[in-house]
Amino acid sequence: MAVSLNNIIELKDISVTFKNDGNVVKAVKNVNLKIERGDIYGIIGYSGAGKSTLVRVINLLQAPTSGTVSVAEQRLQELKPQELRQARKRVGMIFQHFNLMKSRTVLGNVEYPLLSKKISKKERREKATNLLNLVGLAKYADEYPSRLSGGQKQRVAIARALANDPDVLISDEATSALDPKTTISILQLLKKLNVELGLTIVLITHEMQVIKSICHNVAVMEDGEIIERGRVAKVFTAPQQKLTNDFIETSTNVQAAIKRITAEIDLQLAANQRLVYLNFVGNTAKEGIISGLAQKYQIDINILFANIDQIDGENVGYMISIFSGQPELINGAIKSLISADVKVRILEVGGSKGDEAANGVDYSERN
Amino acid sequence: MASIIPNVIEMKAEFVQAIFETLYMTFFSAIVSGVLGLIFGVLLVVTKPGGILADSVSYSVLDKVINLLRSIPFIILLAVISPLTQFLIGTTVGTTAALVPLIFGIFPFYARQVQNALLDVAHGVIEAAQSMGSSPMEIIFRVYLKEGLADILRVSIATVISLIGLTTMAGAIGSGGLGDIAISIGYARFENDITFVAMLIILAMVFIVQFVGDLIVKRVERY
Repeated sequence: MAVSLNNIIELKDISVTFKNDGNVVKAVKNVNLKIERGDIYGIIGYSGAGKSTLVRVINLLQAPTSGTVSVAEQRLQELKPQELRQARKRVGMIFQHFNLMKSRTVLGNVEYPLLSKKISKKERREKATNLLNLVGLAKYADEYPSRLSGGQKQRVAIARALANDPDVLISDEATSALDPKTTISILQLLKKLNVELGLTIVLITHEMQVIKSICHNVAVMEDGEIIERGRVAKVFTAPQQKLTNDFIETSTNVQAAIKRITAEIDLQLAANQRLVYLNFVGNTAKEGIISGLAQKYQIDINILFANIDQIDGENVGYMISIFSGQPELINGAIKSLISADVKVRILEVGGSKGDEAANGVDYSERN
Repeated sequence: MASIIPNVIEMKAEFVQAIFETLYMTFFSAIVSGVLGLIFGVLLVVTKPGGILADSVSYSVLDKVINLLRSIPFIILLAVISPLTQFLIGTTVGTTAALVPLIFGIFPFYARQVQNALLDVAHGVIEAAQSMGSSPMEIIFRVYLKEGLADILRVSIATVISLIGLTTMAGAIGSGGLGDIAISIGYARFENDITFVAMLIILAMVFIVQFVGDLIVKRVERY
């Protein structure tokens, strides 16, 4: 099989099965994954979906039960242990809990991967100092990691992961232990490394916000399988799977808003009122659809929640509102929204989740 | 002085010699069992299932050998091991002969302590080193032993203190030393001042080891 030059990572038919005490757990099931050189590829899923196991297959920290792993045109499973260690140096990795050595200073941690290289102490120090400059931590060189904040620790870990001049950086939930502000600054740093060094980044996360901020491509994992994948803008604007949609709605606070509005606040709808959830994509988010509707169908639209996001230049809007007016006029308005490519869902009030199958988009039918 | 501890004054020369014998036994058995314990402790950690050189057969053999050796009461080990002592040292009596049972009595204990200290090194740190292409030897020397150093020093102090205790029991095979003097002279002849002073000197040794050890740990553990 020829390995494409554009794909720096190619996982083919990867399965990972764990056996403990007679229990067989299939952590990863028959996954195929190709990642292009220079991409920022996000893998999203809830914990236990198999994402961490899958990314550990990339540098063979986790040997797959079956399937082949190629990184930079090298079949990793065919390498001798010594060759595999050399290949691993081309793949840096950062972790949720940073995994710095507490007994080494910041500089010492960044120097660690260079200890096995035949370079002088001076060169090693120089290289590590440059890397600390790159991540903005040069003045902490002689501190121990215990003195640093979480964001600073992750920066040290990034500098360390770059010491071997890798082609690929794997980020295993690297921002999950950080506060939102620090998360943004770490993501900006990763983006900068991607642009300036041409570093390919594979990141796993359970937050759509992370994917949305820096990824070009995304794969959604559930139960050991990739259930949806593609360009982030496309997946965001037209999710094909219920889980994908859940992640998107969680990241835009829509899920919480729906729950709050339908179950928690004391909302009483009159007979001529409907609670409606609208999802606008692309141009539909810009046009004055709502005001047009109100005029054309003579209905009142009361907006309870609205949010708009920009993903790869595409606008994605979410709105929850109460339509008041003649039932036939409301139905007409909804039909015209659907014909304008707006996704519509009628929500029920009072604890029930909304009659999705009857009125809204049923994701399970679109597989 | 002579009225408080008459027998001690009278046996001053023997006391000085006993102190040297205790120090000799402690020092040399600490060196040898320290090396053995470190090797076995590291082997237990790296061969453990999920370890960097996982090998379940080696691990379970090592594990059982260490458990077996640790289960033998020292006073019985002293006697049981005498053929080996005879073979290695040429005699079963005396200070040097006592080194053999002392080493076998203490190194399995130390190996377990080292193992526990190294198991405390976070798995993630080991995984990070593996992801950076470190070899098993690099991981042992630059990660496990470096990250675990402060804890290893701490368990070493505890081990040396236990070892001082064991040297006194070796008096039972005529090893000499403070234990021997305390029992075979002080206790046997009802010269209680000898027993008491021997105990005080041993306590002083223990305190010094603890004090110096703590200073070293403090120097190493700057993080």
